[in-house]
Order: sequence, then C-alpha cells, then structure tokens
Amino acid sequence: MNVLIVEDEKALTVEMELFLTGNNYICETCFDGQSASEKIATNLYDFILIDLGLPDYEGLDLLKEAKRYNPEAACIILTARAEVTDRIKGLDLGADDYLPKPFSLLELQSRMQAIIRRKFGLKNSVVVLGEFVIDLTNRTVSHGDAVVNNITKKEFDLVAYMLLHKNRTLTRSQLSEHIWGSVVNDDYDSNYIDAHIKNIRKKLNAYGPPDWLETVRGLGYRINTNN
Amino acid sequence: MKLGTKLTLFNTLSKLVIVVLFVLLLPALIRDINTKYTDNWLRNQKDKVLKLVQGPGINNYIKNGEGYGSYNALLKEEYISMDIDSANEKIDTIGNEPRLVEGDTIQYRILSHTFKVGKQNYLLEIGKSVRTINETATPLQNIAFEILLGMVFLTILADQFYSTYVLRPLGRIIKTKLIALKFPTHTPYRKVHTSTSDFEYLDISIHKMIMTIESAFQKEREFISNASHELMTPISILQSKIENMFGSEEINDDVKERLVEMQRILNRLKSITKTLLLISQIENEQFLKEDTVEVAALIQEVYDEISIRLQEKNITCTIDVPEDWSLTRVNKFLLFNLFFNLINNAAKYNKEGGEINITGRMENKLCVVDVADTGIGISAEQLPQIFNRFKKFTRSLLQESFGLGLPIVKSIAEFHKIKIEVSSEEGIGSTFKLIFPAEIMGK
Repeated sequence: MNVLIVEDEKALTVEMELFLTGNNYICETCFDGQSASEKIATNLYDFILIDLGLPDYEGLDLLKEAKRYNPEAACIILTARAEVTDRIKGLDLGADDYLPKPFSLLELQSRMQAIIRRKFGLKNSVVVLGEFVIDLTNRTVSHGDAVVNNITKKEFDLVAYMLLHKNRTLTRSQLSEHIWGSVVNDDYDSNYIDAHIKNIRKKLNAYGPPDWLETVRGLGYRINTNN
Repeated sequence: MKLGTKLTLFNTLSKLVIVVLFVLLLPALIRDINTKYTDNWLRNQKDKVLKLVQGPGINNYIKNGEGYGSYNALLKEEYISMDIDSANEKIDTIGNEPRLVEGDTIQYRILSHTFKVGKQNYLLEIGKSVRTINETATPLQNIAFEILLGMVFLTILADQFYSTYVLRPLGRIIKTKLIALKFPTHTPYRKVHTSTSDFEYLDISIHKMIMTIESAFQKEREFISNASHELMTPISILQSKIENMFGSEEINDDVKERLVEMQRILNRLKSITKTLLLISQIENEQFLKEDTVEVAALIQEVYDEISIRLQEKNITCTIDVPEDWSLTRVNKFLLFNLFFNLINNAAKYNKEGGEINITGRMENKLCVVDVADTGIGISAEQLPQIFNRFKKFTRSLLQESFGLGLPIVKSIAEFHKIKIEVSSEEGIGSTFKLIFPAEIMGK
C-alpha cells in the first residue's frame, strides 16, 4: 500500500512514517502543500493523509486535487483545527475519514484498515482464536456452533481493536482512547478497560478458555495469534 | 416601578393635593375678600353720612331726640340708624351682630361709629345683611373650582404627554440594549435618537460597556481556542513518539512501564485540552443544531456507554422517560455528552450500591428530565460554584477528574437553551433538573 503523508510538522511525519513502514506500508512524505500538489499530480497512491493546516496551501484544495488526480486513493484528513465546519466540508469534498489531532497511530492504522475493508473487501474477516471464531463483518464471537451472544458492543470493539493490532501490547490508554474517544468528559484516569476485559473473559470462559487474551503485567493487554 | 409610571403618579398626586388644598382654602378666602369689600363699602357710606350731618344737617335726621332709622323695606338687606348716644365713649368698630327688624332677627355686618355735633354725642350704625354679603360666595367658589379642575386636567395631560415623549428614548435603550442583551451579541450598534444629552450619554456608555465585555469574551474564547489548537500538535507528536517507542522491540519492560505512565499523563493533558476546546467551540456556536433525537433512546445510549462504571460500584440505574419524547433542532453529539457527564457524575459521586433515577415528567407544560443520585451531595456554599471551570471541591479531590464535567454540561445546556436547576442535600444526594424549552420539543 502506497501512502502519501502531507504534514508540515516534521517530527510528527517522521513518527507516522516509522509506524506505517513498520506495518508494511510504503510511505512518501512532504512537508508543504506545493510539493504535495506535484506528487499528487504525478504519482498514484492508495492513501493520502492530508494535514489541513499547511502553511502554504489550503488543505481542502489539496483534497480536491487528490480527488481529481488520484480518484482511487483514500483520503484521510488530519487536523489540529478540529472546527466542525472543516469536518463537514472535508467529508463533503470526498474525504474518506477525518482524524482530529492528537490521534493515536493505532487509531490511524485502524481507520486505514476500515477503509480497506470497505473499499476492497477484507479477505479474511473471520479470524480463528484458539477455540473461538471472531467474525469481524457480522461482529460475532462463536465457539463451535454456539454464538457467544451476550458480548456487548463495547466489548466486541475492544476485541476487534486488539485483533487488528494482534501480537502487539496495547496500553489501557490506547484501548480507552479507541472506545471512549468520542466522549468528552473530565475523568483523566478512570480506566474501565480492566472491568471490560474481566467481563469478556468471564463471558468467553463459559464456552472455553480465552487463553489468547493475555494480560501484560504493568503494560496492558494483547491478543496472541499463532500466524 | 417604571420611571414613566412614577412620574405620572407623582404628577397626579401633587395636583390632587393642590386641588384639595384649594378646595379647603377657597371658602375662607372668598369670605375674607367679601368681608373686606363690605367693610370698605361700610366705611365709604359712613364718610358720606358724616359729610351730610356736619353742622345743622343733623337736625334733618334727628328731631326732638328721636333716632333716625332707614332700611330697605322688603328685603332688609341694608339699614342705617342714627341716635343720640348717652354714654360718652368713642366707638368705631365693624362687627357681626344680630338686629331685630320688624320682628325678624337678621345677622348684619355693622359699622358702629360715634361722632359729635355741637355738644351732643351721636351713634351711627350702618349694616349690611350677612346673607347678601355671602350671596356671591357660592357661585364664585364653583366657578373657581371648575376652572381649577380644568387647568389641573390640562396640566396632567400635558405633563403626561411630555414625560412620555421625553422618556421614550430611555425605554428604547432599556428594551433594545439591556433586556434583549445576550452574549455573544451579533447585533450592530444602532443609535437611539434622543435630544436629551443624558440619554445620549447613557446609550453610548452602555454601548461601550457592551463592546468591552464582548471583546473580553471574544478574547477569552479566541485564546482558549487558539491555545487548545496550538497544544494539539505537540501533544500529537509526543503521543506518536511514545507509541512508536512502546511498540519497539529494543526497549525493555522497565522503560515500557514508564512509557505507559507518560502516556497516561499525556492523556490527561489531552483530555483537558479537548474539553476546553469543546467548550470554546460551543461558546463560539460552531456546532450545528440539525439533529432530531429521541430522549429515551439517547439516555439508553449513554447508559450503555456508562454501564461498566455503574457495575463497578454496583449502582442501580432506572430510566423512566416517555418513549415519545423527541428533541428537534439539537446537536446529538453535544446532548450525548451532556447526559454522559451528568450520569457519569451521578455515578462518580455515588456510594457503593447507590441509585441513579432518571425521570421524565411534565412541569408547567414543559418537559423536564431529573437526574437524581444517592451520592455524597453538594453543600449549600459549593452549590453556586459547581459550574465554574476548574473549580475543584473536596469531594472531587478523591476522584481523578479536573473539574470540567459540569462546565461542559452547562455550556451544552446553554447552547440549547436548556435550563438546569440543581438541588442537593449533603450525604443524601443531588438532583439535576433539565428543563427543555418548548421550541426544541418535537412531539
């Protein structure tokens, strides 16, 4: 997957590139709108990540150009200017997603995955974990013929997020941000992830051992897969 | 009471007092004038008589020691008498006395005067009946009273008219500049036309004050908005760096534990910044109000989101809101956050095994939702401050929060013109009452 990162904050660009490269994306970066505009006109990308707050270019214009010269590319708007109107304009102009800063790199990857699933259809939307089968398309967890039916939406979201970042330890902050991200409230440290994980384990244990869901002491949680 | 009403009242009252005074004084005044006039007339008559009787003239009237007397035969309005005065004293008086004339006792105003002709003392009396003196008093009084009433009525009318005219700009200033005032204001300055310099000064001063307040508000909002935005990028960079480091395999677990700690602290910073930004965006009216929301469903959604926190504390939550209540022209995201923060607070400050009751009911034809908890409550002195930003109370020191939950609630409520009333009793619980304005109720 070819990704173009248009972001004038070099330090952030470097981290995004490092992370995405580590996840098998091929990245190109540019720090200003002019060079981005040239790249968009000449190269083809699968993803274009556009920072709206470029010093030399109106980010939304860049989005229009991307839609014209790279109609196949999925565009994700990144911005610190979380103006509500910007968001609406961006989505109206054909952006596939909108990620306000500060965002988690895991969240960025998860959004990109979601777009891939939407655009190209994910091949293996059914994942086998130990004795369990997770169906990401129909959002179900099953054990043999039995469907674990009391898994809540939040609990499934957690499992799916960990599954997407499988074999990688996710901190409570990262998980929290994923499932509570849209809620604005004044608890900075209340962490209900442990309670959620406890519930998930309890529900799955009724069917079989969820030994693939590991607690990493002092760090967080991870889902281990063999492949 | 309005200034105009006060002035009218005072005008009317003061004129009423004048009328009453006048009515009370008028008879005495007229009597006094009549008396003086009569006395003058009597003295003139006396002088005429004295001229006539100088020298031998007296003998034309008094013969053989018999006194002279004359009066209007029929009406007995006036009389004159002259007689020899045996007592040798000087009299010159005017006074009211009764006289018996042909069997009628009549009250007269009488001038008595003694004079000498030769060696003889004479007493002259000239009288005018009191009835004739006072005859003109009543019509005079009536006419004076009528004229007075007319004048008073006219002046009241004129006063009323003028004060209304003069005070009209003041009324306009109050109506357009003060009563309708709401921040942030978007209405341009419109001068109130007046020839009264005081009002002109008042108008311009109020305008200047509004502008000062407005610009202070504006600056605060801009500052919060800019500061939050500016903070987002560095936070974003730090967050990415920590995530990448955490994901790296070369780093051992001790360091990773510290990275987790850093991430938590960064989250706190992020949370505060996001909350401030949200409040400033609401205050800058950047959110659209285009959603239609079913109240019961929305609260259920919040409940699903929050149920894990209720479970942790074993809190029972009952929701009893009519299914058919819906809100139109609102922002769903904001209302979700309003209820989330309210219910979250109700859970946070609740006791183990406590209760939260969410009830929808009608009150004065308006829809009201109560969020009541059985928590630690808020003391009376803290109650007025709970919506202030960063106001931390002893109760929240136990909790990991920074005191922006209720300010969010307040901003969102104000944005939707939802009224909030809080009642609380320490140790027993708090109730947050949301009163929805009729215009957003869609049912």
